[in-house]
Amino acid sequence: MSLKTISVAHVRLISQYWTRFAVRSGSGLVYLLIVLIFGLSVANNLISPVEFLMVQQEKEMGHRDPNAIQETIMTLGKPVVKFVLGTKSIGQVATEASEEPMMMMGPSMVPKEDKTEAGQWAMFLLQDRPALLSASLLILIFGLPLAISFLAFNQTTGDIQSRGLRYLLLRTERSNIFFGRFLGTAIFSTGVIAFLILTIVLYLGLKTRLYPVGDLLIWSIQGFYALSILMLPYIALCAMISACVSSQFLSLILAKLLIAGTLLFAVVGRFAWEPLKYIKWLLPWGWQNHLLHPSFTHWGCASLACLVYMAAFLMLGHRYFAKRDL
Amino acid sequence: MEQEKRPGGLTALAIFNFIFAGLGVIGFIGFAVMLGFMDAIPTDDMAPDQRAQIEAFQEMGTQFFVAILALMLVSLALEIISGIGYLKQKRGMGWMVGNVYAVFSMVSGVVSGLMMKPELGGGFNIGAIIGFVYPVLTLFLLNSTFKEDFIN
Repeated sequence: MSLKTISVAHVRLISQYWTRFAVRSGSGLVYLLIVLIFGLSVANNLISPVEFLMVQQEKEMGHRDPNAIQETIMTLGKPVVKFVLGTKSIGQVATEASEEPMMMMGPSMVPKEDKTEAGQWAMFLLQDRPALLSASLLILIFGLPLAISFLAFNQTTGDIQSRGLRYLLLRTERSNIFFGRFLGTAIFSTGVIAFLILTIVLYLGLKTRLYPVGDLLIWSIQGFYALSILMLPYIALCAMISACVSSQFLSLILAKLLIAGTLLFAVVGRFAWEPLKYIKWLLPWGWQNHLLHPSFTHWGCASLACLVYMAAFLMLGHRYFAKRDL
Repeated sequence: MEQEKRPGGLTALAIFNFIFAGLGVIGFIGFAVMLGFMDAIPTDDMAPDQRAQIEAFQEMGTQFFVAILALMLVSLALEIISGIGYLKQKRGMGWMVGNVYAVFSMVSGVVSGLMMKPELGGGFNIGAIIGFVYPVLTLFLLNSTFKEDFIN
């Protein structure tokens, strides 16, 4: 069974069907709710303190103080950026946050300029780009890979378990089913991400009016691109797992263990042996933050890395699926 | 005639109903307890945003509190009944009550948002949008994806 058996028309038909019926099967509904609630909650936790400050200022002073608002945004955004980019541990971030003077009680100290690459990257995200959107995107980049398995775990495993694929194989080839369902899952995931980012950006642009529309648009397009391309290798990994196991539950558990476990093992393992931190590079965990890097080279390479991971997992999954007993 | 198998999405919708109803029960109990102890909370040493929230609660009035609790109770009951209806694929108990729940939740969300102060999450904000996600999704799914699945 080779890639020559792929028919574009069949792949398109299968992917369309899979996208439309993702919610009907349950996995799409679970993923949709988790992503929307998680994403909007993240945005809410970042935006609502700023909105509260704006309301208080308008009540007390009759107008907004842009400097105080900007300081609040930086206070909210800095710990998120430092933690997600890995420049500080969560303990260090919590300690720094408790030592910083409260915004309402007086002028804050001018922070020392961090001239390291990570510091410059953080400043790009917080000052050159809409900071609230940057912080939201960073948390989504960290969190969405953990949710994708709810959508992608059952691409083929359910039909393998029920022996239903045999009837489909009378009409089409295995390659078309494998790639068609992968594509359908990717399209559904991209649609959900687009809806989420659109909601957050429309809210920031129309309700809070903190940032110029142009800046929001440009950054939201890059954020959407980053999240969409980031999901591809994880969906491919789930496709590979789904093709290899015959139990839906086992497929979900394995996907969860591999995705979350790789990162956890790298973080915890390096305390025992420093080189274990490189285990996270087995998945895009090591690259993914670079999708929001200021330099085109960085995010170009990160995109390429995601595509390479995707291709590798798809190739392995297809190879097994093409030969296994269905 | 063999009963049509219930789609996984409908089962998931029922489970979500029960989960949100459970969380709603906890919220209901918390709100009810707050009603009893609201005036006794000292606000002198609180941060300004927390103090503003507590003071807004204290200014709300008992009648308004009771109205909110009543809305929550009705919403919880509709959620649980419709969840059972989804599992049994019943047209009245599932599809009808599910639609009533969705519309009721959206209307009560709008009413609460208009009546509550911004310090308490009133007005239009992302929290309100989160509150609308599930009812809108329920309304959409019951009338499109799962429309033909209520066969009892």
